Amino acid sequence: MQENIRNFSIIAHIDHGKSTLADRFIQVCGGLTDREMTEQVLDSMDLEQERGITIKAQAVSLDYTAADGNTYHLNFIDTPGHVDFSYEVSRSLSACEGALLVVDASQGVEAQSVANCYTAIEQDLEVIPVLNKIDLPAAEPERVIDEIEEVIGLEAMDAVRVSAKTGIGINDVLEQLVQLIPAPEGSSDNPTKALIIDSWFDPYVGVITLVRVKEGRIRKRDKIQIMSTGRSFQADTVGVFTPKRTPKEELSTGEVGFIIAGIKEIEAARVGDTITLAHQPAEEALPGFEEVQPRVFAGMYPINADDYEMFREALQKLRLNDAALAFEPETSSALGFGFRCGFLGMLHMEIVQERLEREYNLDLITTAPTVIYELEQTNGEIAYIHNPSDLPAVNTLAEIREPIIQANILMPQDYVGDVIKLCIEKRGVQKNMQYMGRQVSLSYELPLSEVVLDFFDRLKSVSKGYASFDYEFLRFQAADLVKVDILINGDKVDALASIIHKDRSQSRGRELTEKMKEIIPRQMFEVAVQAAIGGHIIARTNIKALRKNVTAKCYGGDITRKRKLLEKQKAGKRRMKQVGRVEIPQEAFLAVLQVDRG
Amino acid sequence: MNDPDTTNIGHYDPQALPQTRSFSELPPLSLYIHIPWCIAKCPYCDFNSHKAPSGELPENTYIEALLHDLESEVPDIWGRQISSVFIGGGTPSLFSASAIDRLLSGVRALLTLPPGIEITLEANPGTFEQQRFADFNAAGINRLSLGIQSFNDHHLKALGRVHGSDESLRAAELARAAGFDNFNLDLMYGLPGQTVNQALEDLQQAINVDPKHLSLYQLTLEPNTLFHKYPPELPDHDALHDMQQAISEQLRQHDYRRYEISAWARNGAVSEHNRNYWQFGDYIGIGAGAHGKISRADTATITRRIKQKKPEHYLATAGRPDCVIEQHEIPLADTGLEFMMNALRLVDGFNPLIFRSHTGIDIQPWKKALDAAEAAGLLNYSAVSIRPTDRGLDFLNDLLEHFMSPV
Repeated sequence: MQENIRNFSIIAHIDHGKSTLADRFIQVCGGLTDREMTEQVLDSMDLEQERGITIKAQAVSLDYTAADGNTYHLNFIDTPGHVDFSYEVSRSLSACEGALLVVDASQGVEAQSVANCYTAIEQDLEVIPVLNKIDLPAAEPERVIDEIEEVIGLEAMDAVRVSAKTGIGINDVLEQLVQLIPAPEGSSDNPTKALIIDSWFDPYVGVITLVRVKEGRIRKRDKIQIMSTGRSFQADTVGVFTPKRTPKEELSTGEVGFIIAGIKEIEAARVGDTITLAHQPAEEALPGFEEVQPRVFAGMYPINADDYEMFREALQKLRLNDAALAFEPETSSALGFGFRCGFLGMLHMEIVQERLEREYNLDLITTAPTVIYELEQTNGEIAYIHNPSDLPAVNTLAEIREPIIQANILMPQDYVGDVIKLCIEKRGVQKNMQYMGRQVSLSYELPLSEVVLDFFDRLKSVSKGYASFDYEFLRFQAADLVKVDILINGDKVDALASIIHKDRSQSRGRELTEKMKEIIPRQMFEVAVQAAIGGHIIARTNIKALRKNVTAKCYGGDITRKRKLLEKQKAGKRRMKQVGRVEIPQEAFLAVLQVDRG
Repeated sequence: MNDPDTTNIGHYDPQALPQTRSFSELPPLSLYIHIPWCIAKCPYCDFNSHKAPSGELPENTYIEALLHDLESEVPDIWGRQISSVFIGGGTPSLFSASAIDRLLSGVRALLTLPPGIEITLEANPGTFEQQRFADFNAAGINRLSLGIQSFNDHHLKALGRVHGSDESLRAAELARAAGFDNFNLDLMYGLPGQTVNQALEDLQQAINVDPKHLSLYQLTLEPNTLFHKYPPELPDHDALHDMQQAISEQLRQHDYRRYEISAWARNGAVSEHNRNYWQFGDYIGIGAGAHGKISRADTATITRRIKQKKPEHYLATAGRPDCVIEQHEIPLADTGLEFMMNALRLVDGFNPLIFRSHTGIDIQPWKKALDAAEAAGLLNYSAVSIRPTDRGLDFLNDLLEHFMSPV
């Protein structure tokens, strides 16, 4: 019954209790038995559970019998809460008619929720505010209601007050949900159009696509067609997640569910594509999504060169379910064979790195993250580089352009001064500042390169964790940038090169060499560390040679302790990368991230 | 870089490793006797030493235990001569001369001690008087090793030593007066707050006493010591090296020759016992926590063995199988590293034939390691001699890494 279907998402900041709330819904609607109900069912990856964040969108279908006596079919599409994954949010929202805006009643509105909420409003979704964690002594529902109204401009007087933890108010939310969110439009009699919201590779059944049927229907054994490619597949199984995978006879208009059609590679069923039926295809496809562009790049190298092939396979496997992850082979004279990887943002990068190390047991060196630069050459050609060491000689370039983002920052009034100071330090240009209740909304244009360094950490620290932050890419913009090379004993170490604004290059060069001196341990010979722009040395420092490395006392009889000591020393060196004759610890490759602090 | 061809450099060549050892002769055999008690435990000490119980030390029962222990070792060394005896600790000079006399008599009854072999006893200042020294001498002790550590009262206190500088000096005088012309002084440098000049003053005082042998140890913070838990501030790396250089220079000027990393001797008065360790010789270890290493031709094995560490456990088990708390054969592949850990401490290095005769394996499987170490300027080798360079002595830990497995 199409009029009894309700498709919705939950918009919430990290830690504001989205997953707990979702778990409650599943419990109330009987989607899982108590025994199956582990904490936060939806965050199924280990990493998601550990960090309490959602990385991939997921969907759950639930049946809810409302106070009016009708049974409603609820499709809840889970969304990630972090800025890096905002594209997944808009995808999830496009499958819905409504969204719950969950706000922590003790914390108030955060920038990320504001951004996602605007996306929902732009997509004409019905947004229902919900105040969570109402059981906390620090909860201030009245203040937070004012904030929702002022900051987002959303009527919030009737916001339901819940505690997902204790279960207070859960039924009220479900009642509001069925009353306020409209039923999906479209007709089962029209030619079929189903939007691919997500697709992932399952080693047992192949590609699973998560779709929202906008028009028509898809039955088991229908011959489906992917509209962009025209390729056809037979739908072996269709069904919904309850959250267990539950097969059905058909998915009809308004429903959100999965299709398994013997598709072998994920490229054949890309997110944003439209599925129709081969025997009666729709005339035009649904509007898709913008393709996700990686914005942050870093070199990743296996510490042990023998792991290279394993590393490549691991990246390929991860990419099956993470279309945003880009990678291409890269060779560094310092680090050997590895890959240049592209990520959506810093969190995405951390997550990928952690998964590689944990799930694939790889020891990796990751270079400092950089952004993509647009180069206009003197002959007028445009090129893009995402590795600082690829920057050609300046005289071949008409202009170097760096990516500029618009940052929206929300913070309590007390921290405005420090946040502004930070933004100026990061070469930001203020675009807007608004006082809204106790919160202030700042908007800045910032070079992304400054943001990927340590902006997020610094923002958290200057605001004692209260500032929240959201950004979107604006444009490439010309800037006076230079490449600063680091030379170790006269050899350029490509993995340590960075692109820096000219005004900062001198001081950054000095800071970098000093940092190297701190990080690189003394060796058996003197090590010279230099920073250079082109052929011009801008800073230099020496790491004095070690003068001895020998254990003075050796009790002849007992050599076991001594051996342990030697083995420990050897193991320590294994964690380092040998560049020329110099052993460089992993931290050195991330040093560029740390020089600004203080 | 880590390409597979080079990661194995420095390690042995498994193809060249024989199936078993084969001994055409056995290495020299020493006897180490451990006496575990001290007046107090020093905060830097990680040896198996224990604060002496109040009242009398259980001298008689301990010596009985030592002899039982030795008796249990005899079948493994049947017919072999002993090349040196060392009574260490702990503080063996806490034992009475008559106890030491009984101990040595018991040892002679079980083993063949050729006439004139080196028999050393460790003594700490403040634990003896002249008569006891003379009686030690009469019992057969012919070499003393005195744990002076420093002649500076301030530093002695920082080290937690129970004696003062005057007792340090007196100990040496007493030793000489009691008839010992061959004794060693243990000195430490790199003490908390010590300057290069203070270290040289200490050394000069020691030289003035005119010992034949001097051991100079840099103070290191070992795990499981009080200093490791509450580390004192030590001179930095460069100051320590300056100190070591200045000490070496001063010793050379006074005709001492360095023959091992920390050992200096005049007129060839090297410690036979220690040299045996460094040449990968065999040793029986008896006493609480004593380590032993015995080669056997019939089984073609080298076995390491450790005894019960706590005095009370040792006393209860000595001579029984459960007195041995750890015993293992040295794996063939570990031979290179274990041999080099000892032999490359010697300034003159060793003759490759010694490697063959003392390990029962030819040195050939370690040729790559030798080549790599030589290429790194840490070692020189020829058919008749393998010796560390001066740099190799300073960077012995890096030199030894060449003989370790690549993992």
